[in-house]
Amino acid sequence: MGTSITSWENVSAYFTFADNPLALVLFSIGAAAIVAGLISTIKKHEDKAFEEYK
Amino acid sequence: MSTETPTLESLQAALDAQQAVFEMHQSMNVEVFYWWCTAIMVMIHAGFLAYEMGASRSKNALAAGIKNVLALAVIIPTFYLFGWWIYNAFPGGLIPAEASAALPWAQSMGPDVQDMGTGIFWAAFALFGATTGSILSGAVIERIRVSAFLILTVVLGSAVWILAGAWGWHPDGWLLTELGYHDVGASGVVHAVAGFFTLGVLMNLGARKGKFINGIAQAIPPHNLPMTLIGLMMIIFGFFGFLGGCIIFNGGETGWTTIYNTPTNLSAFAFNTLMGFAGGVIGCYIASRDPFWTMSGGLCGIISVAAGLDLYDPGLAFIIATTMGFIAVKAAQTLEKAGIDDAVGAVTVHGFVGFVAVILVGVFAGGTPNVDGNPEISLYGQTVSALVMAVVGFLPGYLISYALKKADMLRVPDKAEDIGIDEVEILAKPYPETDVPAKTSLETQGA
Repeated sequence: MGTSITSWENVSAYFTFADNPLALVLFSIGAAAIVAGLISTIKKHEDKAFEEYK
Repeated sequence: MSTETPTLESLQAALDAQQAVFEMHQSMNVEVFYWWCTAIMVMIHAGFLAYEMGASRSKNALAAGIKNVLALAVIIPTFYLFGWWIYNAFPGGLIPAEASAALPWAQSMGPDVQDMGTGIFWAAFALFGATTGSILSGAVIERIRVSAFLILTVVLGSAVWILAGAWGWHPDGWLLTELGYHDVGASGVVHAVAGFFTLGVLMNLGARKGKFINGIAQAIPPHNLPMTLIGLMMIIFGFFGFLGGCIIFNGGETGWTTIYNTPTNLSAFAFNTLMGFAGGVIGCYIASRDPFWTMSGGLCGIISVAAGLDLYDPGLAFIIATTMGFIAVKAAQTLEKAGIDDAVGAVTVHGFVGFVAVILVGVFAGGTPNVDGNPEISLYGQTVSALVMAVVGFLPGYLISYALKKADMLRVPDKAEDIGIDEVEILAKPYPETDVPAKTSLETQGA
């Protein structure tokens, strides 16, 4: 579904969705959300873990 | 056998075909070189992992380790998302230039048959960034919250150091074009920046509980000193990938150049990397007689000559490294007396030594010409650049950690620090069998 090529002749960027800038922006936002989500999850875990030690 | 008489056109076509094959193989060689440099750099992180876990007390060993592993995991994607763009957009200062090809949604930021350079250079730079994160990681063990550390490591590894890299390593970087900056092995752009960032964080984070009693520094021994020594040696191994990644493998007739486009070769790097390592070990050993510092001396020595790795006489590199190794131990003791608890000496080994290393290029190699119309290397240019590196590192480290401290997000609670972060947060024990009394040989025989 995401292929950006129909032939290997004269190919340059050939990765999935290379011809769909909107999709690439959305994937970038998704990647950023994963990193932010990881840090947020760790912070929540710490808040809970440290609660009784304050 | 063909009896056709070759024509000028057929000979030209054969020559063109040979040339195309040659150029493709040359591009592949470039990729192969940086691929293995990047792979070898992963050993730096394996080394930091062992070294930091060993340097912690056993109650915090896994917290130190998980922090280090996660640093790699967050720096790689964030360096993809904005680190590479910062390098390409900010060589002129703080106003971004057009660098849309380095944005994460650009076609050049993915598999491309025609582009055999971007991915492999991005990878090497991402691992440089991860190294800065690991430099911070060791200093803050045993009391920083993992979430706070990850925020700080993303800022350092994917933004701060690469901004300094844009200024001091990019062909259009203003430190090069205005001051003739020379730092081929990243003493400034990686080590000094990361070391001073770490100092800023440590000032807000504070010392480990029990480190200072009535203002007097107390020793907090590593729970596994042998593991720290092995870890440090693994970092030294990884440095060969790091420093290999700092040299430019050019196609055509040019061959090797420094990142400043001046001629050099791996032989030059080999002489001074090894002489620097040896000198640093000796200097730290003489100053401390301590196994941890003796092995750290290898790092001190390499970092102390890395900025001028292509220029120094190996004998001079050895003397510089020995001297800097000796001074580094004294500098670490001074820092400790000032109330800074740097658990692994990162501020001194990376920050102080990297800072001085940049200046020393001006002292010993001042007057060396640059190319492409850039000014020659000078003591003035190197000194100003070293100060820039220190400020660029220190300010964000101090300010962001200050904000985290004010939000009560920087440090684990006192009681959790007493019990150990592994038990409270990580919910795992590094050595679970240590709670079980050992059986005597008579018991195991059923007596």
